[in-house]
Amino acid sequence: MSKERIIEIRHMCKNFGPTRALRDVDVSFYRGEIRGLVGENGSGKSTITSILAGMQKATSGEMFYKDQPWAPKTMVDAQRHGISMVLQEANTIPGCTVAENIFAGRFDEFSKFGVISMKKVNEAAQKLLDSFDISHIKATDPIDRYGFEDRKLVEIVRCVSDETEVFVVDETTTALSLEGRQILYKLIHKLRDNNKSVIFISHDMDEILEQCTDLTVLRDGEIKGNLTREEMDAPDAVKRIRYLMVGREIGEAYYRDDYDSSHMPEVALELKNLTFGPIRDFSLTLHKGEIVGFGGLSGCGMHEIGRAAFGLEKLASGSVVREGKEIRTCLEAINSGIGYISKNRDTEALILAGPIADNIVLPSIPALSHATFINPADEKKLSDDEIEGFRIKCNSGKQWVNTLSGGNKQKVSFSKWTAKDSDVIIMDCPTRGVDIGVKQFMYKVIADMKKEGKAIILISEELAELIGMVDKLIIMKDFEVTREFMRSPDLKETDIIEYMI
Amino acid sequence: MPEKLKTNTPVEEKEKVTPLDFLKKHIYDITSYMGLVLVAVLFVIFNNGPRFMYNLSSVLQSASVYAVIALGAVFVYSMGFMDVSIGQQVGVYAILMIIIGNKVGGVPGIIVGFLTVLVLALICGAINGAVAVWLGLPSIVTSLFLMFFFTGAQVLLMESTGLNSINLNQAIRPEGRNPYSIMLVIFVLVLTLIAAYFFKYTKLGKYTRAIGANETTAAQSGVNTIMWRVIAYMALGVCVAIGSFVLLTRTCSAGKGSGSGYAMDVMICLILGGMPLSGGMKSKVSAALVGPFTYVLLSNDLTTMGVDLNWINFVKALIFIAIVLFTCRKKDGVLPR
Repeated sequence: MSKERIIEIRHMCKNFGPTRALRDVDVSFYRGEIRGLVGENGSGKSTITSILAGMQKATSGEMFYKDQPWAPKTMVDAQRHGISMVLQEANTIPGCTVAENIFAGRFDEFSKFGVISMKKVNEAAQKLLDSFDISHIKATDPIDRYGFEDRKLVEIVRCVSDETEVFVVDETTTALSLEGRQILYKLIHKLRDNNKSVIFISHDMDEILEQCTDLTVLRDGEIKGNLTREEMDAPDAVKRIRYLMVGREIGEAYYRDDYDSSHMPEVALELKNLTFGPIRDFSLTLHKGEIVGFGGLSGCGMHEIGRAAFGLEKLASGSVVREGKEIRTCLEAINSGIGYISKNRDTEALILAGPIADNIVLPSIPALSHATFINPADEKKLSDDEIEGFRIKCNSGKQWVNTLSGGNKQKVSFSKWTAKDSDVIIMDCPTRGVDIGVKQFMYKVIADMKKEGKAIILISEELAELIGMVDKLIIMKDFEVTREFMRSPDLKETDIIEYMI
Repeated sequence: MPEKLKTNTPVEEKEKVTPLDFLKKHIYDITSYMGLVLVAVLFVIFNNGPRFMYNLSSVLQSASVYAVIALGAVFVYSMGFMDVSIGQQVGVYAILMIIIGNKVGGVPGIIVGFLTVLVLALICGAINGAVAVWLGLPSIVTSLFLMFFFTGAQVLLMESTGLNSINLNQAIRPEGRNPYSIMLVIFVLVLTLIAAYFFKYTKLGKYTRAIGANETTAAQSGVNTIMWRVIAYMALGVCVAIGSFVLLTRTCSAGKGSGSGYAMDVMICLILGGMPLSGGMKSKVSAALVGPFTYVLLSNDLTTMGVDLNWINFVKALIFIAIVLFTCRKKDGVLPR
């Protein structure tokens, strides 16, 4: 069966300063396919699609769309011509209603003599929402009422219309729950059935293998291989794809390989009868050299526990105690040796518009300061050590964080606390949106931290990761603990899921 | 990081930075320095005559006041905040120093006057920094309050004297134009070095920049954002007090209109000097030196070029908007956020 080509990219290169993100890429996309794009962070997946969708320009190379030369001026321009993209980051306008968000920039369609009929806008928006099976979102509600996940769905509704010919999904699924994912999967299959083209970027290998009809693997800005559906169904497909992505054998060591769930006797952190918000009377004792995991659906309260342990939540009663002292603010938490890796990496954990080095040393500044003076050489040494230790892909510590890929950003977020040598580290979704190579690396870091006697709270939405890494697993549902599991080689995801939903 | 985590991954090839990349990266710095060079060259061309030295020293005198205040304002602006009460504070402080100086008399009078003003300035700094946080207000609101408050104080103080302007009864600057100019240059240089030290090599500068770049991240990384906000505003207060004193050495008098417009002038100086209004990591202390001289030289050039005095403000407005457009505009094709 010969498929109709819709997009052709020839000899595309893209440089960010001295970094070469794409090197002479040739790739075509066809109608009636869901093409997966996989590769490690920084391999160039998002770069290709963002150029295609008009977010940025290529340094050199040609693009053809429906056999015509293609050079979109902006994302709006691209969308008007039928190429839509949903981004990884949140992209809704706060302070507006859902309907206003959906039809932003298209109000002319509803105006008569310059007066916009908001009634019509709202009706049209609700109809659209209903057609996507997300009737629980109301068009007239302010967008801020909805969580990240629902806002993402609104974005999808905004992007896709009858004119959409090419739909790009850039790591959107990491933000979505199972339900949201199902809606998205249904949508992309519908588009495919209508002879449209879908480009699907994800780090979730299972998802890629389930949903995509074709697969393209990238590494270091070059195409390393294309797989057909038949090849994706081959028994060793995952191994082959991983090899193409990483360029070497990943090996078996992925999660912790020991089942030794012992820890030191000393208590590192105590949560005593915490009551705040919807959480009632929660207690936990964390020891040195212990990894305690939290699992559950995203609204189950586990993220809030992490925040409370770092002094970010106002407690109605109860206390967080470390080494005999009560922790009331995050400043006290940091000073007592607690570190926190927020799940909101770009808004809370990192200063995106700032150098890598400044981000890494920020928590360590009090230690570097001697009689007000902070020696730049000390700062450089500290940050360079971390950059080297974590193998953060950059030209120097002066490079800005917003030029890094997701995995490397996350490494910076980790390194802030290793530089400070914090003894208790609270990690909230530390491997979200991070590829296998970096994940494997981070698991090793976490395992090593345990051996060094650090106490770790690992909050995650990925069960496999929790089972693979933690000593004690606490499962939560509706702000309550439903079950605790101890580390064991026999622990299976299926044993746990029933306590989550 | 522990040594054992290092493995033999391929070393990233480092590619050469081309001159074009360098130019792109430092475009703001280059623009602001080029601006200063341009107005300086024009100044030399238009003032090439017997009045050159006189004009130069008058430029130096007005720019010094701006520079001193701007050096403090850098800390506040790098947090992305501003203070609109600077002008009225300067006016009141100058009047107070004259009244106290004349009452007490001699050197002690000047010292008592300055110390009084310094304490007031620190209190204002604390109000802008802390009270704003306690009341949950943006600092600009408290600074507006202070602006109106000091406007009233200035009027009342002058009414109480029954005069339109009052003079200091003693000399507080060296005789002659050149010694005074040299004194100013040394003074501004020393202050610049101090401000640069605090901005680049201490917590104050690092934390204010971090707050400006992302306050949440700064707080979650161990920065006591409220405390450093107060300290930054107090640093500005110290500089406003010193700036008022420098103004007094120049004029030796003050009146109802003293200091008016300084808050906006300082803001424009900083923008001309390459300071981003949103603060953050691109903030720099050099803006407080480059900006005031560009601003004063520009005004001077426009006058000597024969631009009608009544039109000067329009020309300034145009130049201002041109610079802001050139330096602050973002060229993203991203859908509205």
